[in-house]
Amino acid sequence: MKQQKSDRRSFLADTGKLAGVGWLAMNAPMLLAAGQAAERQREAGKTWTNMTPEQALTFAAVVDQIIPPDDMPGASDAGVVYFIDGVLNGFMAGDAEMLKQGLKNLDSRAVASFPGSKGFISLSFDHQTEILRAVETTPFFNTMIFLTHCGMFAMPSWGGNRELGGWALLDFDNRHAWQPPFGYYDTLADRGESNHAEG
Amino acid sequence: MPRDKKPVVFDTRKEVDFVIIGSGASGGILAKELSTAGFDVVVLEQGPYRTAGDFSHDEMNVMILNEMTSHPLWKDPQTFRQKASEKATVRQSGGPPPALYSRGVGGSSVHFTANYWRMRPIDFKERSALGSISGTGFSDWPVSYEELEPYYTRVDWEIGVSGAPGPFDAPRSRPFPVPPLPVKSSGVLLEKGAKKLGLHAQPAPMAILSKPHNNRPACVHCGFCMGFGCEANAKSSTLAAMIPLAEATGHCEIRPLSTVFRIETNETGRVTEVAYIDAKGSQQAQKAKAVIVAANGGETPRLLLMSESSRFPGGLANSSGLVGKYLMANGHSLAYAFFDEPLNEHKSVQVTRIVHDFYENDPKRGFYGGGGIDARAFIQASPILFANTGLPPDAPRWGKAHKDLLRQNFTRRLALLNSTTSLAQESNNITLDPALKDAVGRPAMRITYRDHDDDLAMMGFMQDRAVEILEAAEANTIWRDPVIPQDVLAHLLGTCRMGDDPKSSVVDPYHRSHDVPNLFICDGSSLVTSGRGQPTMTIQALAFRAAEHIANFARRGEI
Repeated sequence: MKQQKSDRRSFLADTGKLAGVGWLAMNAPMLLAAGQAAERQREAGKTWTNMTPEQALTFAAVVDQIIPPDDMPGASDAGVVYFIDGVLNGFMAGDAEMLKQGLKNLDSRAVASFPGSKGFISLSFDHQTEILRAVETTPFFNTMIFLTHCGMFAMPSWGGNRELGGWALLDFDNRHAWQPPFGYYDTLADRGESNHAEG
Repeated sequence: MPRDKKPVVFDTRKEVDFVIIGSGASGGILAKELSTAGFDVVVLEQGPYRTAGDFSHDEMNVMILNEMTSHPLWKDPQTFRQKASEKATVRQSGGPPPALYSRGVGGSSVHFTANYWRMRPIDFKERSALGSISGTGFSDWPVSYEELEPYYTRVDWEIGVSGAPGPFDAPRSRPFPVPPLPVKSSGVLLEKGAKKLGLHAQPAPMAILSKPHNNRPACVHCGFCMGFGCEANAKSSTLAAMIPLAEATGHCEIRPLSTVFRIETNETGRVTEVAYIDAKGSQQAQKAKAVIVAANGGETPRLLLMSESSRFPGGLANSSGLVGKYLMANGHSLAYAFFDEPLNEHKSVQVTRIVHDFYENDPKRGFYGGGGIDARAFIQASPILFANTGLPPDAPRWGKAHKDLLRQNFTRRLALLNSTTSLAQESNNITLDPALKDAVGRPAMRITYRDHDDDLAMMGFMQDRAVEILEAAEANTIWRDPVIPQDVLAHLLGTCRMGDDPKSSVVDPYHRSHDVPNLFICDGSSLVTSGRGQPTMTIQALAFRAAEHIANFARRGEI
């Protein structure tokens, strides 16, 4: 029933790395650890664990194409690259090489399309857009969209969503309790100014 | 919920009165009822024992990495195909598994949306009313609504259901224990659209408390509901409503992380013990006077088929050949919309209003079926799934225009979910995968499923009605998911159906297997027809009723 259109690829089916049935012991703590390490690293302004500085810059350019900065934070402002750095050694480990090859491919395409350029990050924003248009249906780019959304909108403990900028973009507030009325239409109904149909 | 005293621990070699396999919607009730009646009960649950304090709003863990449903570290893959002529395969794209259920104490009642629709009298005798449907196992139930009504009422009061009667509801012997949850904007808009079309929106009956009840608190409207565990114990899972009462008796041991792989029988054809892998990975066997399988409509037939022996070739309790057959999932179809003003559907429970005008079969439609419509946030209530799946199919997937759509519409969207009938077909079933095994060597669950053409027609019919409602409610953008055969089944029904005749059913009207006197089966697998969606209410009414009869059989020495 839940027709998820997200591009989580086969990494979720890849169960090869860990054995045993002690699921409880290994599940949440292990998964969270990667994200929390990424968050600590971001806050400490440290360098990258699972990518080179050049790869980090290219990732930043790609995620900013997906959610660009404007009056609200773009994806790299929100720390999405830190999120990616964390999960490349976590649940995305099976796809790390594919993603890094994808970055290389962007550099090759940049040089081919714009002779004399020094790779993807040296291009103008619009030229970067042009390069990405050519790869927008590839597993690489679908995965980048998926990861950008995850990093932008996950709990900050995963490394992204810096200062809750992702949630602010959506006007989402992660509270543990709300009181009615919740929205515009139930507020109207609550005040007796129901917008029910007249007939 | 903190426990006052250390729960009882039983010796595996001591014969307990009952082993219950599964602690979910039905298993939790059976455990509470039988332990309260003084019987010694061991509940074997394959998942972990999480409680309210273990649940969180971490969307990555819960909804993306599927912590509670299909985490790859479980190493329990499922295979899927539409037809027996195809080779079933593991889905390579990730995402939810074909047979979707939650693992852990409380089972899927922990992560469910908690829609609690009673069936109506017609549901139990629709075959008599409409006649047979060629190529299907469409049948009457061996019980009536009137017989089940007192147990529906027990679910309302003991599990905890919020609501108010609707214009088409079946008669009830007692009011709801607590009033409906406060209406959300989605509910107001469903009412508005329905009213314009001459339809009748009604408050949704929900197993989530609107007021404190039975020493549990009211919902705090946090919004992390469908797919998540409740941090407040306001969602009426069996984890919140039943398990603490069972443990408090001193007669019930919940044994989590226990993966059952076989039910053993002796030379007289009776069940003697249940073999499982414990939390440390060691093989164990719990002796019992009787066994109740309540593992859900997918895992129950899988286990019975795995428990075959020379005395029970083709699987335990399977002389009819129907164990695993007649799988029904309910049809589902979706229409989505954006509105001009914020609805904020990320707050509070998923569903506050439903439309049941299309519940009954109508020969004028030209196909069998019926269903209900609800308004809800759906899985896009939380930000990551909204960003990945919440925009219309023609929306830009990246860039400034994409960002603007996300920004504009997270608070301004809703979904109308249609839940509809599934016809029982032998060709839809649970079998053992002949090649693939799980981490402990059990054959993987193989799901063969294709919605009947009438089911697909009903899904499409309801989606058309939903779109009309959204238009009448003055949505500014409306789109729909394509109606195609489903490959993620969240309702697992009918696979050990109930009946009077051992040739055409697996369990008798009291959930005792026709073939094995001390083996009972009570969960979604018992259902004879699918209802119109939202089966948990009926599964649980059956569980209360089964527990009463099973306790009486035990007291009278009739097991």
